[in-house]
Amino acid sequence: MSVVVFYFLAFCIGASAVLSVTVRDVFHSAIWLTLTLLSIACLYFYLDAGFLGVIQILVYVGGIMTLFVFAIMLTARIGDRSIQQTNRQLWPGLLISAGAFTIMLKIILSGPWANLITLNPGIDLKVVGRALLTQYVLPFEFISIILLAALVGAIVIGKVKE
Amino acid sequence: MIGFVTSYIPLLLKGLAVLGFIALSAMFLIWLERKISAKIQNRLGPMMTGPHGAFQSVADTVKLLLKENIMPTGADTTIWWLAPFFVTVPAVVAFLCMPFGSHFIVHDLNVGILFICSITSISVIGVFMAGWGSNNKYSLLGGMRSAAQIVSYEVPLLLSVLVVIMESGTLSMQGIVRAQELGWFFLKPNVFIAFVIYLISATAETNRVPFDIPEAESELVAGYHTEYSGMKFAMFFVAEYTNLFIVSAVAATLFLGGWLGPFRPSMFWFLLKAYTIIAFLMWIRWTLPRVRMDQMMGFAWKFLVPVSLVNVLVTGWLLVVKG
Repeated sequence: MSVVVFYFLAFCIGASAVLSVTVRDVFHSAIWLTLTLLSIACLYFYLDAGFLGVIQILVYVGGIMTLFVFAIMLTARIGDRSIQQTNRQLWPGLLISAGAFTIMLKIILSGPWANLITLNPGIDLKVVGRALLTQYVLPFEFISIILLAALVGAIVIGKVKE
Repeated sequence: MIGFVTSYIPLLLKGLAVLGFIALSAMFLIWLERKISAKIQNRLGPMMTGPHGAFQSVADTVKLLLKENIMPTGADTTIWWLAPFFVTVPAVVAFLCMPFGSHFIVHDLNVGILFICSITSISVIGVFMAGWGSNNKYSLLGGMRSAAQIVSYEVPLLLSVLVVIMESGTLSMQGIVRAQELGWFFLKPNVFIAFVIYLISATAETNRVPFDIPEAESELVAGYHTEYSGMKFAMFFVAEYTNLFIVSAVAATLFLGGWLGPFRPSMFWFLLKAYTIIAFLMWIRWTLPRVRMDQMMGFAWKFLVPVSLVNVLVTGWLLVVKG
């Protein structure tokens, strides 16, 4: 039974991801992308990683997708149904993504996944907080600097020129 | 096979209980809102159907069920059809970890409060879909205003929830209630500020007066659900009142001690607190005028966000000082 649930979720993720890059209407592809992200969150919940699933929905669906759709709505004429979905960089793009896919497949197939499966007793917030500020403090601070730079950049771009 | 099926029967019954509660609660809240607005405006409100119009919502539901479903020409069919579901389903799913009583909870997730916050944020996509799919200027404008408003007020809302999480040290809804056994959180001054910010942001999140800009009827007809009729309109309506119940119930749980209370069963106290907050929000709705769009956004970013950030900082400092 649980295998059926897993394959159903995997099918949802794959199908909606393919549809989000192939449908012609920009708004439709945004909705398909939302479904992809939601199905990934469902997969996290199914794998007992509740915290990850919740953050996935909060950040990607509640934040990023909302801004995507907001941008689509604010851009004039982008909702036109006859927009071309491909440009001249179709073949180089395909080559690069095929290369990335092969590398990722190799890494996934070489990993000792069976040994990594342990029973997760539920995430303790204190453990997460401590880990972020001790073991992973460098990447944590690095990400916050990137976010700060992005914030300042957005303000500079968005400032009305006098 | 039979064992597999029977193991899902309790789950099914819980789901049906939640759906029944949502339907009854929405009908009751619609009646309550009409009665409260009538009292404030010195009218009687619905009086004809049943004692004091108690069955008015039932009659309205039957009417909505029988109404024709009209789709505007040029609407984006799929998007237009799916939008009400994207708004209603998250509101239902959020009941998964709603602590109705010491034993009445469908499933006490260890990330409960974050789960409710994240699931309810999905409904923005539904509002967008309704605005975009209707092929109508008013719907589009209403959808965009709603998005700007919900994204802005989500920030102070989550920051004020964060204060409670810091005080209780847990994300589980039952854990937060149990952490208040020594004293309800809103009695502490820093949490009281968070409570006020939460109520203001929750009013904006549920698109109610004084923040009902997305459906300002004098300028936008009805906002994003202008083009919907019959049962599809009813779904938006039910979602609106279910979201009102969710924000009030979460406020009761986080700040007013949830189901804690003497003498009566725990469920009684939970519902009493939640409906008191709802009555308070209705009182505000029918007393205050609507604010302007730019004033509202400015208030969120220039006042609520800084105040709640400082509040988080002060809470952390207090917790460190106390040890």
